[in-house]
Amino acid sequence: MTPKFNIDRPKISEEEINQHKDFNQLVKQFKQQSVQKARQDKSWWKSKKVRYSSVIAGITVVCTISYFALFNKTQNQNTNDKIVTQKQETGNKTQEARRFVLPPSKKLAIPYSSYKINNSKGGEINHNTASKIKIPKNSFVDKNGKDVIGDVTIEYREFHDKGDIIASGIPMAYDSAGKKSNLESAGMFDIQGTQNGEPVFIKEGNNLNVELASASSEDRFNQYYLDTLEKNWKYLKHDKIIATASKPKSVNKENHNQHDNNSKILKLKEEIEVIIPKKIDSVKVVYTKRAETLPKAKEPSKPSKPTGRPTFVLDANKSEYPELAAFDNVIFEIGEENRNYNKSFNDITWNDVKVSEGPDKGRNYLLTLVLRNRIEKLIVYPVLTGSDFEKAQKKYQQKFGEYQALVVKREADEKKLLAEMEAKQQAYMAQLKQKQAEYEKARINAEVRNINDLNTAFNSMSNQERATRLFSISKFGIYNSDCARGVANGKNVSPVFITGENEKPLMPDVIYMIDHTANTVYSFGRNDLAGKIKYDPNSGNSFVVFSGSKMYLCNKESFKQTTDKEGYKFSVTALPDNSENLPDFKKALEI
Amino acid sequence: MAINPHYHHTSDQLNEELIIIEAAKQNPERFAPLYNKYYKQIFNYLYQRMEDKDTAFDLTGQVFLKALTNLNNYQFKGVPFASWLYRIAYNEMMQMFRTLKDKRAVNADIGDLRFICEENEEPFFEEYIPVIKQLILELNSDDLHMVEMRFFEKRPFKEIAEILDITEVNAKVRMYRIIEKLKKSLSKLKM
Repeated sequence: MTPKFNIDRPKISEEEINQHKDFNQLVKQFKQQSVQKARQDKSWWKSKKVRYSSVIAGITVVCTISYFALFNKTQNQNTNDKIVTQKQETGNKTQEARRFVLPPSKKLAIPYSSYKINNSKGGEINHNTASKIKIPKNSFVDKNGKDVIGDVTIEYREFHDKGDIIASGIPMAYDSAGKKSNLESAGMFDIQGTQNGEPVFIKEGNNLNVELASASSEDRFNQYYLDTLEKNWKYLKHDKIIATASKPKSVNKENHNQHDNNSKILKLKEEIEVIIPKKIDSVKVVYTKRAETLPKAKEPSKPSKPTGRPTFVLDANKSEYPELAAFDNVIFEIGEENRNYNKSFNDITWNDVKVSEGPDKGRNYLLTLVLRNRIEKLIVYPVLTGSDFEKAQKKYQQKFGEYQALVVKREADEKKLLAEMEAKQQAYMAQLKQKQAEYEKARINAEVRNINDLNTAFNSMSNQERATRLFSISKFGIYNSDCARGVANGKNVSPVFITGENEKPLMPDVIYMIDHTANTVYSFGRNDLAGKIKYDPNSGNSFVVFSGSKMYLCNKESFKQTTDKEGYKFSVTALPDNSENLPDFKKALEI
Repeated sequence: MAINPHYHHTSDQLNEELIIIEAAKQNPERFAPLYNKYYKQIFNYLYQRMEDKDTAFDLTGQVFLKALTNLNNYQFKGVPFASWLYRIAYNEMMQMFRTLKDKRAVNADIGDLRFICEENEEPFFEEYIPVIKQLILELNSDDLHMVEMRFFEKRPFKEIAEILDITEVNAKVRMYRIIEKLKKSLSKLKM
């Protein structure tokens, strides 16, 4: 197969090359390879030294084990018991942790979205709420701390409003050094990672970045992590927010157009910065080369008359030395620079004579005289006398005329080539200018379109897409962008929930009091009802009560009617079965 | 011919490299300066000879892994460490081309083609480009590699010899023959 031949292919940017540089990965691969090689290489066993050492080590190990087996049995038993206990404790803690986050209804459970990420490549997850999860490569390790090889399953879900919070079963109470409050959420997410059902962990130093699409663009929230073992939220830091909206994923057509526009702009940019400048350069190169190939006029040598210096006349047999025929009638005057010359040279009959170009080409010659082993070299100047000079002078004038004509023609040709080059360059310059104008126009259009798209997208977005909150997470779990609010101030009430006309009391499992003026939900267990519940009469409040497999609601109006009368019996109505899906549930709750 | 200064090292620089190599033989983590120094060069060398950049990036990784694995076998020959890396890169690349021939590509700038003409004392016109391309593609694999290194990458003969594991004289003779071959073909352009 003939290889493809590319001319002036665009170079890969330094930035892109650097992105692929990963020395740590190289060292890791090297180490893995070395370990594998060591395992495969069994030749070491052939060494007698190693064999004897191994036998001795083996005996030592057997003796040590026997010693502990015989004398430390009791102690060992105790240790084993401790281990078992610890395991049980861990097991209980996990179970407690599970109970700590307990969705009130399975039917309302918010499902996880599942994504696959190759650990060696990393990647970016675009969640359907416009949230993003940025995962650096090699971010996950297994329980032994080894890098996970292959795909990792990331399960992710978000909770944005009061309905989501209730459905999640995530407690929003916050205890900060004994000071109790409730968290008002600007968005919450739960992220988990597994491979083949086994949990994976985030490698130290390789934090995942979660860009959470948030319902609120206010800057008063903090970031918290839910510690399910400590049963409390852990403050992380003040929330980092980007108050601009990201583009909704649903605007695919616009994205596609955007891509086309971008590629058009890039193409124009390449033409302006690379292609056309190269064309302009190549025009100049072509001009130079073509100018070099134009016939060069060589100025003829002017004939000279003798100056009085000693001369040579070549008196050679023309049939024996035909090359000397060209110098017929020429007298060679010995140059002043020949220090080896003496007058006796003229009296010698030389065996051989050679005439070649002299150091000053066209003006002098090198005369080589040979007599047996003797070689003399002289720089000579051709001179003419009498009619020969007249003849040569005439020829010179004729040749000089031709030379001048050629010079004029060459100048004209050069001028023509130059004009052609300039015309081509100007054409390219005009093309460049046109492309620059097109580029500028396309760039402005794209910018305007971007702004319009962004505005359109922003206006069409739901609230939860209006801000992005940035989390850098080092472990899987539940994270929250929250603002701690003191437990509702105002009045106290010990509620009793009654149903139907006969006011049958209800035995609640869990109660949620919703504050409709903020994204806040207060949750209470059955035992909390023994004491008083605080509520703010100025906020619109409602109760959601879960009892058995049923959900009951005391809406804002009913709540107000009861509290206005300083009453404590809250009449609740069972939500219809078809409310047991999240959207209908939220609708029923007036969220 | 102007030699690419990128490949020239002073004796101090060569010594510095030797120290790093010796350290890296003991501890692979010490290899980092050489990796950082030559990554781009090796990538460009490979990418220059193929179509697909992802393959070039993968192969670059393999080259450095192989270099690190065989570092104990490295022998200093008075040329930059890069020459040894290039030889590994060349071998890895040729091995790949044996099975994946379609990955091979030749990449040159117009200036490189002009340079070939100048070296052969022939004028260069843009109209010649398709013919010059054809002439280059007709060269056998080894000759093509020589042309790429000498004319497109402006490498000194010493380095070319080191990469191909031949003597410098041999490299010059081979280059001379290629130039003669090209000269013969280029002279036909004038007819």
